[in-house]
Amino acid sequence: MKSFNPSESAAALAGITEVPTLCPYCGVGCALSYGVDADGTIHYARGRDGASNAERLCVKGRYGFDYAAHPQRLTKPLIRRESAYPRGPLSQFSQIDSSGPRKAGGIVDYTEVMPHFREASWEEALERIAEGFTRVRTNGGPHAMAGFGSAKGSNEEAYLFQKFMRTVIGTNNVDHCTRLCHASSVYALIEGIGSGAVTNVVRDIENAEVAILAGCNPTANHPVAASFMKQAAAAGTDLLAVNVRRPGIADYCSQYCQIKPGSDVAFYNAVMHVIIAEDLHDKAFIETRTEGFAELKAMVEEYPPAVGERLSGVPAEEIIAFARQLGQARSAMIFWGMGISQHVFGTDNARCLIALALLTGNIGRPGTGLHPLRGQNNVQGASDAGLIPMYYPGYQSVADAEVRKRFESLWGVDLPDTPGLTTAEITHAALEGDIRGLYCMGENPFLSDPDINRVREALASLDFLVVQDLFITETAEFADVILPASAFMEKCGTFTNTDRRVQKSQPVRQPPGEARQDWHILRDLAQRMGHDWNYPDESAVFDEFVKAAPLYANLSHTNIGETGRWYPCPHPDSQGERLLFADTFPIGRGRFVPAQLGTAPDLPDNDYPFILNTGRQLEHWHTGVMTRRSRALDAIAPKARVELHPDDARKLGVANEEWVELASRRGSVQVQALLTRDVAPGTLFLPMHFREAAANLLTSPALDPFGKIPEFKICAVAVNALSEVS
Amino acid sequence: MSDVSLTIDGVEVTVPEGTTIWEAAARYGIEIPVLCHDPRLEPVGVCRICAVDVGERTLPAACVRHVEAGMNVITANTEITAHRRILTELMLSDQPEQSRREATTGDDSLYALARELKVSDFPWPDAKSSSNPPRGQDDSSPVIAVDHQACILCDRCVRACDDIQHNDVITRTGKGHSVRIGFDLDVPMAESSCVSCGECVAVCPTGALTHQFLGETS
Ligand code: SF4
Repeated sequence: MKSFNPSESAAALAGITEVPTLCPYCGVGCALSYGVDADGTIHYARGRDGASNAERLCVKGRYGFDYAAHPQRLTKPLIRRESAYPRGPLSQFSQIDSSGPRKAGGIVDYTEVMPHFREASWEEALERIAEGFTRVRTNGGPHAMAGFGSAKGSNEEAYLFQKFMRTVIGTNNVDHCTRLCHASSVYALIEGIGSGAVTNVVRDIENAEVAILAGCNPTANHPVAASFMKQAAAAGTDLLAVNVRRPGIADYCSQYCQIKPGSDVAFYNAVMHVIIAEDLHDKAFIETRTEGFAELKAMVEEYPPAVGERLSGVPAEEIIAFARQLGQARSAMIFWGMGISQHVFGTDNARCLIALALLTGNIGRPGTGLHPLRGQNNVQGASDAGLIPMYYPGYQSVADAEVRKRFESLWGVDLPDTPGLTTAEITHAALEGDIRGLYCMGENPFLSDPDINRVREALASLDFLVVQDLFITETAEFADVILPASAFMEKCGTFTNTDRRVQKSQPVRQPPGEARQDWHILRDLAQRMGHDWNYPDESAVFDEFVKAAPLYANLSHTNIGETGRWYPCPHPDSQGERLLFADTFPIGRGRFVPAQLGTAPDLPDNDYPFILNTGRQLEHWHTGVMTRRSRALDAIAPKARVELHPDDARKLGVANEEWVELASRRGSVQVQALLTRDVAPGTLFLPMHFREAAANLLTSPALDPFGKIPEFKICAVAVNALSEVS
Repeated sequence: MSDVSLTIDGVEVTVPEGTTIWEAAARYGIEIPVLCHDPRLEPVGVCRICAVDVGERTLPAACVRHVEAGMNVITANTEITAHRRILTELMLSDQPEQSRREATTGDDSLYALARELKVSDFPWPDAKSSSNPPRGQDDSSPVIAVDHQACILCDRCVRACDDIQHNDVITRTGKGHSVRIGFDLDVPMAESSCVSCGECVAVCPTGALTHQFLGETS
């Protein structure tokens, strides 16, 4: 360049406004701005200085925003044609036995599915739904209906959805995907300390001497949170990771213990055994803040390090070193993920971590606390708003007559007095004929629930199914009516992140065609079914939610503003509480709940010699409905691969990228292999996002007895090389 | 830590000991132009744009120089402006004709500085047309475009990758004129351990690291 003569100002900035909102993906809840033009086209995302991200973003937040503008967006209500009954899957991949190397993968093929639906007016679609719901209720009673809300929706939408199911339909059969991620953790937390949310925020890890990362893979699933963990490690915090599959963050940990699948309870009991034996427990805390120590002590006495070693595979001296590191730390935080919760003994696993924190006095001070890393951007808020079958908004029990009376007067209707069914129970009940109608708002149980072959049958057996979503999902293939809904970037609402921070989104674009706001759809349906719902806007819905749930007292759309607040929020001007339970727990004393090592239901044998673990990967989100329609994310991670240890691969005669068939006692998939030493010999890892290699064809529907969470982490499979395919 | 009082552009300021001149000025609303520094990063003082006059023989870089009691700092005068203009012209002399950053996120700091300093023609040879080989591009990543020609070696991306996101992917490689940023052991970005968080793009002050065009298709 010899001279400088560009235009007065940058071309890109002309006509682009940066609108402050949030990332639509994970529970970290990063604040960002979208650079948007007048047509509502998003050009880029820029990190804002949010409480949980300090301008940082990960690949999903930075580049995964274009799904809302995908050409497959639904723009009109759709009604299933008469010829498309009896109800069943419509696309090739949703049929039985339909994965493999010669078949194209990816998102639902509209050319296969669309001919089975016809476009309808909103009037016709809503009328048909009102009729359908009424028919199911008349024939089978209100409990023949069930609803799945979504942790991707706002607090306002979650609140209205559960209110719709409870007041308009008259059932507590309302749940969402929290059941599939942290239901067991929440059960154990409510039992142990009386509150299901985190006790401290991620970023307080900077004050922790030690942090335990139990069964979580934050660099993939909570990437910006992971950046603060790594930053703390660089500044001296000792990170201790425990996992069955080496998480990326192990590179930054001072200790990594690779346990055998399902042996968490044995490992943590052995750690507690050492802490007590070496007198490293916090006696003052135990004395003044807890109860049940004697029972815990008796239980963990059975788990000396040698027993811990035998059961978990971690050498006794490493268990001892781990226990000393934790026991001697002045402050320690405990983070955990699905590796803890998604087991039939998930509640027991979480009980051990809670006991560990109580035993070492690591709750209520800076740099301490319990933090189940919440997955979806609003899984905390959706649960807070009552999108669960046993609680009204704010964790108030539906079985408590006094609470019920209060809600009956708030909502002006009589309410059912029995807790409803949970996600996987609803599928079971559909198969048994007890659930006849299902309303699915933004969930895709076909891919997200265990044992797809059963889910397929269950969905096919329904009398009436309504799906409200952005796209035709695998679940929507079974629907009688599909309603076109709004995407995150098209709505205003509040979202509560893993830190309990309530933050507000702003619309930056219009829903396409005739697609509508989800809360408008709920309101219109309620009105059509004879309920006088009148809310001028989203903030009025939020105000009613706050009135229903004292948990959110003092919050409003106005004071949440662009930066958000934590709940609990002691008064309207407060920023909210970052750190909870400095002096006492909501149930007074914390409870030690001892746990005995359990047995997984679907263990390997000669026919199914491997253990399959399922989970997530950095670039994708859940059933891929959004991320596989993002050009950037799909380009970076276009296909599923199963992780296989190189030693096993050699025995099986499988090279990297070669095709294998995985078969469990319930189904099979064909997928390419990725050889890596991150998985232990004898174990495999398959991400859940890809329908053409749907992990949940393989998983078992067995449930944790308390949290009712399925066993997604242990399932016996056989692996066979598909050598004829190149 | 004790406080230190000094004057910046005639304004009496008091800041904790160990504060840099750049931070002290920012705290009092005095903006000192800079390319290689960002408040989220440890300063390195390599672009020298933030040079100020503290009454010494040379102009120290405000982003790394700590305040001293009684210091009298001038952040802009004819000499400083001339210094900044020459540096800016030299940096521009081997920039590509168009800034990709101006066309994507619109926040090219080098261009903004050139506009502010009213840079137009300059006497330096066009560094691209001399005997210097072009510095090359890396388009391997689906989301991040790398144009080494636009890189001013400010190290912001290196620090963002290491010290903000802690991904430890970006570094410097090469010697002399061929110095450039590299990924892992100098492999194409898409083959490196990069996780595409885009933090390097967010902190880059020029068109060297920009978003690939991802705008929604309508
Ligand atoms: S860490 Fe989570 S919230 Fe933040 S940008 Fe990534 S996906 Fe979005």
